[in-house]
Amino acid sequence: MLLDYDRLGWLRAALLGFTGLIAAFLLLPVVFIVLLSFGSSRWLAFPPPGWTLKWYEELFADPAWLEAALTSARIATMAAILAVLIGLLASFALVRGQFRGRNTLRGLLLTPMVLPVVVFAIAIYAFFLRIGLGGTTAGFVIAHTVLALPFAIIPITAALEGFDKSIEDAAIVCGASPFEAKLRVTLPAIKIGIFSAAIFAFLASWDEVVVAIFMASPTLQTLPVKIWGSLRQDLSPVIAAASSLLVLLTLSLMIVTALIRRKLSK
Amino acid sequence: MSGNLLYRQPILRRPDGVGGALPALTLITLFFVVPVVALLLRSVTEPVPGLQNYAILFGDGTYARVFFNTFLVATVVTAVTVIVAFPVAWMLAIMPPALGSIVFGIIILSMWTNLLTRTYAWMVLLQRTGVINRTLMDIGLISEPLPLINNLTGVTIGMVYIMLPFMILPLVGTLRAIDPMTLRAAALCGASPFDAFRRILLPLSLPGIAAGGLMVFVMSLGYFVTPTLLGGTSNMMLAAMIAQMIQSLLNWGLGSAAAFILLLVTMALYALQLRLVGAKRMTGGI
Repeated sequence: MLLDYDRLGWLRAALLGFTGLIAAFLLLPVVFIVLLSFGSSRWLAFPPPGWTLKWYEELFADPAWLEAALTSARIATMAAILAVLIGLLASFALVRGQFRGRNTLRGLLLTPMVLPVVVFAIAIYAFFLRIGLGGTTAGFVIAHTVLALPFAIIPITAALEGFDKSIEDAAIVCGASPFEAKLRVTLPAIKIGIFSAAIFAFLASWDEVVVAIFMASPTLQTLPVKIWGSLRQDLSPVIAAASSLLVLLTLSLMIVTALIRRKLSK
Repeated sequence: MSGNLLYRQPILRRPDGVGGALPALTLITLFFVVPVVALLLRSVTEPVPGLQNYAILFGDGTYARVFFNTFLVATVVTAVTVIVAFPVAWMLAIMPPALGSIVFGIIILSMWTNLLTRTYAWMVLLQRTGVINRTLMDIGLISEPLPLINNLTGVTIGMVYIMLPFMILPLVGTLRAIDPMTLRAAALCGASPFDAFRRILLPLSLPGIAAGGLMVFVMSLGYFVTPTLLGGTSNMMLAAMIAQMIQSLLNWGLGSAAAFILLLVTMALYALQLRLVGAKRMTGGI
């Protein structure tokens, strides 16, 4: 009976109450930060003595914030495109390839997701210093592509495993070239996987803090580096304003994802 | 099958062979394996060849404390996360979809919100004059503000918050895969709800709990951002210590030796997890 929602009895009330409590716990910081960003207290008193938009004005008055956001968007877009392209090619080999060491290869390509990012951060920092890519956009993009690759490979291989290969074979038998068959039959069939890959890969770079802290130079800062720098100075409400915009971005991304997924799965 | 025949022809087989993985393999080898190996080599070559860096790390009480802190926090965080996540995942697995999708939405929102944003929120919430201390004092539960930040309490709260989605989401999958009939059968045979939980539900969800718990433990061991911001300087964890050795002290030998220890522990636990759930299940996780 424990897995029958309608027959749980008193346990259901207890479990529902607990679930509600944890949902509130998960929501608390997000809602709190948005409310705080409109509060008039510089010392982050809560509930705020009054409401204001001045932290947003301060945020937009400082060009460094916008510049950091644009840098992040640029790097995350490039890293996501590269990770999806490279990940797509690799996924075909990982799912369909018949070669020795396929599972080892899969494990290797997914390792950047498992290795503590601080280890990779200092390793790539030292390496880029030596080969002259330290503090450059190219360096950022390469490092973030490495970190984003597992997040691209996982949904694409999952989608590819669920796709019946005989449909692609049928297209080839009907005269399509193997490339054409992949492009016009297989890719449309796994587009939800590719779309998820793009979102996850983008977020992996957009949210990345540790590598960015090491790689950043005074002239090249991503948004997380800018927030990190401000956090270490003080807990200014301007950070709350910037954070609220990031929450807004997350919400829009969730809605867009839900809509596109619904549309694609039709 | 004609498909097999086609794929025996080299020209058709090639695109699905190892070739497609070459760009990924090149990227990972050149910009992941080589830098990491080069870093680890520095741990036995700098400042002079030998194992002196490891001798320092294992011989000094300061470093021993950092290792102890790291394992303590990771253990506590994992235990709390598992205990809190299980009832939530249980409900999510059987809830009516309309209600469940709200909870799922909240979990995804929390998980996708910028990591620094969430940590910043906890810094403000937990500080001496923060909302939590204020509220507790207003309702008279405490007379002095509790020290919730710049100590391991703060780190634990912040880490549990971040790890919860990683535990809840896979557990829902495990619980959904359990056939409700087995529990109905137990009830018919006279098992009390407690017995059914202890002898059926819990053992059947154990693989999911172990896999998720191991993942949370591994992630907690190497976490940098949240412990650094919520833990303060006197409660340093391993990842923060490594960053400090490199960034502020420029001691590459010692820093990379500490990094190697973290890598070794992580990879050993990762291998254990792969054995537990299999590579297939891991990669199908998202």
